[in-house]
Amino acid sequence: MSIETVEAIYLEHSEQLTLVELAERSGLSEYELRELIECGVFAPVDAATWTFESRSVVVARTAYRLREEFALDDTHALAVVLRLFQRIEALQAELRVTRARR
Amino acid sequence: MKYKDYYAVLGVPREANEDDIKKAYRKLARKYHPDVSKETDAEEKFKEVGEAYETLKDPEKRAAYDQLGRHSAGEEFRPPPDWQQSFGGAQFSFDDIDLADLFGGMAGRQGTRGRTGPIPGADYEAGVRLTFEQAYAGAEIELDLMAVEYDEQGMARRVPHRMKVRIPSGVTDGQKLRVPGKGGKGLRGGRDGDLYLDIAVESHPLYRADGLDLHMDLPVAPWEAVLGTNVQMPTPAGTVSLKVPPGTRAGQKLRLAGRGFKRADGTAGHLYANVQIVVPTVVDDRQRELFRELAGASSFNPRAQFEQETR
Repeated sequence: MSIETVEAIYLEHSEQLTLVELAERSGLSEYELRELIECGVFAPVDAATWTFESRSVVVARTAYRLREEFALDDTHALAVVLRLFQRIEALQAELRVTRARR
Repeated sequence: MKYKDYYAVLGVPREANEDDIKKAYRKLARKYHPDVSKETDAEEKFKEVGEAYETLKDPEKRAAYDQLGRHSAGEEFRPPPDWQQSFGGAQFSFDDIDLADLFGGMAGRQGTRGRTGPIPGADYEAGVRLTFEQAYAGAEIELDLMAVEYDEQGMARRVPHRMKVRIPSGVTDGQKLRVPGKGGKGLRGGRDGDLYLDIAVESHPLYRADGLDLHMDLPVAPWEAVLGTNVQMPTPAGTVSLKVPPGTRAGQKLRLAGRGFKRADGTAGHLYANVQIVVPTVVDDRQRELFRELAGASSFNPRAQFEQETR
């Protein structure tokens, strides 16, 4: 049996998404996404058309995963968790850079 | 199919209400979630706890689970004859699935039941571990996924999925890549889901990655630092000759432009060689004599700053 070969692509090379598509791909509702955007967890690339870079899918999917896995039912609490999560990720990235440049 | 006692996993009695179940789950999630737990078997434990909660939090699934009867954990069993009619809907082969698939399948049916429009396929996520060389040059890796797919009736089945994925050059540790259309199949004309790859890159004994830039240590002898020299530098793309200028200090970074990670679109990082001055630990009499002579001849004060600051 021949195995299919597929291409993996960089997220920044992927197309932009609408709010509806973002909801569809993350599992979160449009309402929840709007709340997370209001809390500053992420932002549309174009505020007029409400389009999002494909990296937002990763953030929104993380939000969905954390909401499910910790059984969080308050979007504001979820936003706080995500902001802290993003800070940890940023610190880890900084640690990697510092270690690399040591 | 092996029985799992979901109530025991969550540590709640069978008559526990929804609130107690959620409380018990939250407590265990805080204890075992891989993002917060330091326990060694956290991931495995969290999977068990998550599977139990997934079923018990949903009244319909919980009722279906209760109808399976009481068995001891790990015991082989089959659902009672009427179970399938009550909860399973159409035909369902019990041989090639486990308890999690059984209730996962119910979720699929609940999600799709009553909907007539197109239903998009689920997105998948998979971890991929690359060697430094694979990350640098790009690689073709083989990926085995176990996908739960739903047929037109919304019935779940496990489908093994093997594919070759071409990873582009220049991927970095912690990066995510997307394989469009390789997630779950869409239903009734819905788009297929995407596959997301979480990339982990193994560390290299010489190079340390910082985005597309690379850093490495360049040890030089004291006389090489003073007099300057040419060194043969290993780079991921092959050895190059690097000029160390006279008077090079420890900690100075020599840049090899464009010698870092490269991407197909032409963007490239640099390779930085971090100068370290190393001294021989074993010196013979003649060398010691030469160092003494140098010490006598030199007026260089490496700690001049101490005197300035403490004056």
